[in-house]
Amino acid sequence: MENVANHEDWKVCFSEYGPGLLLFARQWVRSPADAEDIVQEAFVKFWRRNHRIDNRALLYATVRSIALDLIRRDSRRARREAEAFSDVAPSSQPQFAVEDESQRTLAAAVDLLPHEQREVLVMKIWNELTFAEIGSALEISQNTAASRYRYALSALKKNLQPQ
Amino acid sequence: MNDFSELESELKKLRPAKPSAELLARIDAVFAKADSNQTTDPHLYPLPQGEADAERQVRVTHSSGDTAKIIHPTRFKVSWLSLGLGLAAAAIFLIFARVGVDRPPKRTPITQNTPAPATRSTIASPGFIPAGATQVVYHTRDEGLHFPTGYDEPMRRVRYQKRETLQWRNPNTGASLRVSYPSEEVVLIPVSGQ
Repeated sequence: MENVANHEDWKVCFSEYGPGLLLFARQWVRSPADAEDIVQEAFVKFWRRNHRIDNRALLYATVRSIALDLIRRDSRRARREAEAFSDVAPSSQPQFAVEDESQRTLAAAVDLLPHEQREVLVMKIWNELTFAEIGSALEISQNTAASRYRYALSALKKNLQPQ
Repeated sequence: MNDFSELESELKKLRPAKPSAELLARIDAVFAKADSNQTTDPHLYPLPQGEADAERQVRVTHSSGDTAKIIHPTRFKVSWLSLGLGLAAAAIFLIFARVGVDRPPKRTPITQNTPAPATRSTIASPGFIPAGATQVVYHTRDEGLHFPTGYDEPMRRVRYQKRETLQWRNPNTGASLRVSYPSEEVVLIPVSGQ
């Protein structure tokens, strides 16, 4: 049958974008389960409308919008927002499949980045979006996205330097 | 050269955690449920909750691997009740318009102008010839019915506030002179009793 349920396209797309989307969703929620809920809602919504992923900026904007909605409507809104935007709160569970201590250190350093910088870094490095796409998804200019990316790398480099 | 290329390559080595198999199964179930909700046409997909009230469905056809979407909004269906009401309103409007055309008001305006300023006569100095005159009505006020003395029938008094501009030009010297002043005109229009 030629329909969504049996059409394998969405699975191919999800296997490609799923990990990056999940990482992106983890910017706002600490729990992987919440992040998966966000990704599920966003992906289903997006796929039903588009049946393909030719506008990645829109897909990530959908994830972001749903994540922010979740934060706002949740009864634990205040606590979640505080956690999501505290910029210093480490994740309760690892967001990366780390292989060694250096990667663990790097992942921890990423987690300590300011939210705005981490958001752009995640979209650029692990989702391979262009600055134009990032700007479109976050409703900021391309130059702002590029600046935040550079600031993020600079901050990471500084934090990873041996004392 | 990018100073961060080494750092970027290190970051790219970090692999994001994969979504759980449960998530994949949940999405699969959502799509499967959407399919089971289909009625007659297997290519019709209801939109998510909250969008269904947009009175439309998306028809998806897959042909040769291409996906085409045709939106069939039901709002374009002919509503006979609305059409009938619209036609009735148009007919009533035309009847009244016709009545208005058949009875053009008999108007013999009687005007009362404010006296023209003295400048008009004094400007007529040698060498200057009138080059133009404009009259712009910037406000009209209907002051209602009046019964002026000496007239048998009522009059409608309309007051026009205008700005008149007179221009003179001296062809010998090329000089020009322009005078602009406000004026007011009161027009009494006889009102027919029929």
